[in-house]
Amino acid sequence: MPDRPAIEALILESVQLLAEDFELDALKAPTTDTALYGEGGALDSMALVNLIADIEEALAEQHDVSIALADEKAMSAKNSPYRSVRSLTDAVLERLPA
Amino acid sequence: MKTIVITGTRKGIGKALADYYLAAGWRVVGCSRGASSITHAHYQHFALDVSDEDAVVAMARKMKSSHGSVDALLNNAGIASMNHALLTPASTVNRILQTNVVGTFLFCREMAKLMRRTKNGRIINFTTVAHPLNLEGEAIYAASKAAVESLTRILARELAELQITVNAIGPTPIETDLIRGVPQAKMDALLARQAVRRMGEVRDVINAVDFYLREESDFITGQVLYLGGVC
Repeated sequence: MPDRPAIEALILESVQLLAEDFELDALKAPTTDTALYGEGGALDSMALVNLIADIEEALAEQHDVSIALADEKAMSAKNSPYRSVRSLTDAVLERLPA
Repeated sequence: MKTIVITGTRKGIGKALADYYLAAGWRVVGCSRGASSITHAHYQHFALDVSDEDAVVAMARKMKSSHGSVDALLNNAGIASMNHALLTPASTVNRILQTNVVGTFLFCREMAKLMRRTKNGRIINFTTVAHPLNLEGEAIYAASKAAVESLTRILARELAELQITVNAIGPTPIETDLIRGVPQAKMDALLARQAVRRMGEVRDVINAVDFYLREESDFITGQVLYLGGVC
């Protein structure tokens, strides 16, 4: 299974590619602490949907892992897993098969 | 070369649509529960159940690596079962909903992901005149297609930002296995409720699909087009 640095690198690359597609200057050089969605985040709901789909696809292609990031747990979480690169990395790691 | 995905290509309307779009120069990716009945250099077949999520996701991933993107999807695969509601077992209800609703949804979801980059995707779902005509004996089939129509209208809104149109076609009865076994008297009564009282033909479906697929149809989405003058 991919480790935390690998997952974080995959998410940062996905955010960068999305930022180019959606012309989001604030996300063109993302870091671990970059806000994504919600307070201070640059993603609107459609861009977030695209990012989640991109990350799921990249996980399947690069690591042969199939996960659903927008599951019921994510939708009902008190703190959204989509708020930053760090929280999204946590969410991916939680969902990787043991 | 443009790529069109057609579900249920082993026989009937699906096979005719696949043959037509292959002849028109498209790459056709088809599927059915069994082996392919089409041999063509630009045809690729997946043997799967359209309601099997893992299989549909795996198909989409293989297509992404081999073709990159998808231009159009025809959600043709569907099953019917004519029976009185009092005699319809839950297993039949589940089977129809799985294929017609879950299968249509899974293909919309996975193929829309592959259409995201093309900025000109086309999804065409298949409904039936049995829904607006409220045909007796077709309660579950018609209900499943009512769900497909609702799915079509809502996905049209959700996918509009990705420049993907989502529409539906509601054919009248066409001579295929789907209506084999429907009594002639029932069929005559059904035709009598159409404005144009004849059996549908595959060419009628192709004409409507071609219309939705046209580049100029990018302003047409969320629509349900019934054939034969049914409304």
